[in-house]
Amino acid sequence: MLKITGLQAGYGKVLVLHGLDLVVPRGNLVTLIGSNGAGKTTTLRAISGMIKPQAGQVFLDDQDIAGKPSHKIARAGLAHSPEGRRVFATLSVEDNLTLGAFSRLIGVRAKGDVSADLDRAFVMFPRLAERRKQLAGTLSGGEQQMLAIGRALMLNPSVLLLDEPSMGLAPLLVAEVFRAIANLKAQSITMLLVEQFAAAALEVADYAYVLENGRITISGKAADLKNDPAVKAAYLGGH
Amino acid sequence: MDVFIQLVVSGISVGMIYATIAFGYQLTFATSRTLNFGQGEALMLGAVVGLSLMPVLGYWAMLPVVLAFGLLQGVVVERLGVARAVAQKSEFGWVMSTIALGVIFKNVAENIWGRDDLKFPSPLPETPVVIAGAHILPMEFLILAGALAMMLAVELFNRRTIWGKAVVATANDSDAAGLMGINTPQIVTLSYAMSSMTAAFAGVLIAPVTLTGATMGTALGLKAFAVAIIGGLTSGLGVIVGGILLGISEKMTGYYLATGYADVPGLFLLLLVLAIRPDGLFGKRAIKKV
Ligand SMILES: Nc1ncnc2c1ncn2[C@@H]1O[C@H](COP(=O)(O)OP(=O)(O)OP(=O)(O)O)[C@@H](O)[C@H]1O
Ligand SMILES: [Mg+2]
Repeated sequence: MLKITGLQAGYGKVLVLHGLDLVVPRGNLVTLIGSNGAGKTTTLRAISGMIKPQAGQVFLDDQDIAGKPSHKIARAGLAHSPEGRRVFATLSVEDNLTLGAFSRLIGVRAKGDVSADLDRAFVMFPRLAERRKQLAGTLSGGEQQMLAIGRALMLNPSVLLLDEPSMGLAPLLVAEVFRAIANLKAQSITMLLVEQFAAAALEVADYAYVLENGRITISGKAADLKNDPAVKAAYLGGH
Repeated sequence: MDVFIQLVVSGISVGMIYATIAFGYQLTFATSRTLNFGQGEALMLGAVVGLSLMPVLGYWAMLPVVLAFGLLQGVVVERLGVARAVAQKSEFGWVMSTIALGVIFKNVAENIWGRDDLKFPSPLPETPVVIAGAHILPMEFLILAGALAMMLAVELFNRRTIWGKAVVATANDSDAAGLMGINTPQIVTLSYAMSSMTAAFAGVLIAPVTLTGATMGTALGLKAFAVAIIGGLTSGLGVIVGGILLGISEKMTGYYLATGYADVPGLFLLLLVLAIRPDGLFGKRAIKKV
């Protein structure tokens, strides 16, 4: 479970998030939608410790992780597939996935069966299996996106943050990424999804929040938001 | 002709020392975009500590102790001189502090080992072997093999072990590495440790064929810096080629012009570097990505 209260964060002196409240119940898929520059990426960064929140609490299960360095937050069980994929370009696909399990391999997080999880990632993304030894920097955008998701899953996370997994992908690949997300949901993985394609995100999510200028303006069951006139007008192309 | 071969071989061996030190510069640059300007002093400390251990342990058993000492010395440099600058993303704080630490190490060494140059006993026979008419010191082969082995070992560590992969990941994208649970400040410390370890090892490799003492490191560190800039701060092959070219041209200058001029090519190279990239040394490429 992920629970955020009164989260404020920004860059330097500029505040981007003005007190955010948000809950992702265990096993749920929650989506955060909003226009460009609304602060979606900033929200995920403040949760995972890439930037330090200026105020507020972030509870991962019952531990307050706000303000901790990102490696400690990861070790506590929060995985973040960041905006722009950020794969390790000079390392192979397999090494990228292995590094996702770094905390488990050095014994600061329950180890489980890393090689079985590696096999599972390759089953989930067969395109990666074919490219096991290829350098991540030479993958196509879609393949890199799958790698970024697979790498985050290698943590065996209790909560997974996904930042625009469909960004820059061809429609066919977008469908593939959403199939993967639906698949993760079926495995009851707790997820917070940030998406451009609001319609697709609302289709797969349980619950949704709308972010505008660093504030939550609308929230509710995803199925309800799909039919909300304001949401329709602003984010679903008015259909 | 035989003299020529001789010069080439000893040029290669001293060139591999430059390459090893330059390789050390690369290790810290990769993870933190910072350099240890006391790298020459790390080499010197390895040599003088090795010298003191020689009577007790002998050359071969002394090596692992010197490697461990080098690791530790690198941790000290990073913790005292670099960690805060990196955390604050300060661009130049580390330049002054690594230079200052180098000066301190040199003064400490002068107090313990004196100001005079000392003779480091050679682990191999000091009579040259004759190959194709050229007289070559066995130690020169050991330097070549040792330097290559050290670089290969570091490379293997980076490719094969989970900690080595964490080092490469941090070099690729430090923020993303943090998301993997990698404690990136700790990885920067590790890369300083490895960098000083390679320098300390270069120190005990070269000590038997040169004069050993508190002042031996400074010029070596500077010339290797020029090699690192010319050869590229990211290319392992670049520093090997650059180091060997410098080593050979020094030996040739020393023999065919005058012994006193042996340092000229290295200093010339340094001036050339400063002329080509006056602010570019740690300019744009060194600015930490935010
Ligand atoms: N690294 C940064 N430094 C300074 N300001 C930033 C930085 N990253 C984002 N911002 C600013 O913070 C605000 C929110 O940006 P953020 O990236 O969170 O938006 P977003 O909702 O993810 O948008 P998009 O849909 O385009 O990805 C924007 O005004 C942006 O300019
Ligand atoms: Mg964004």
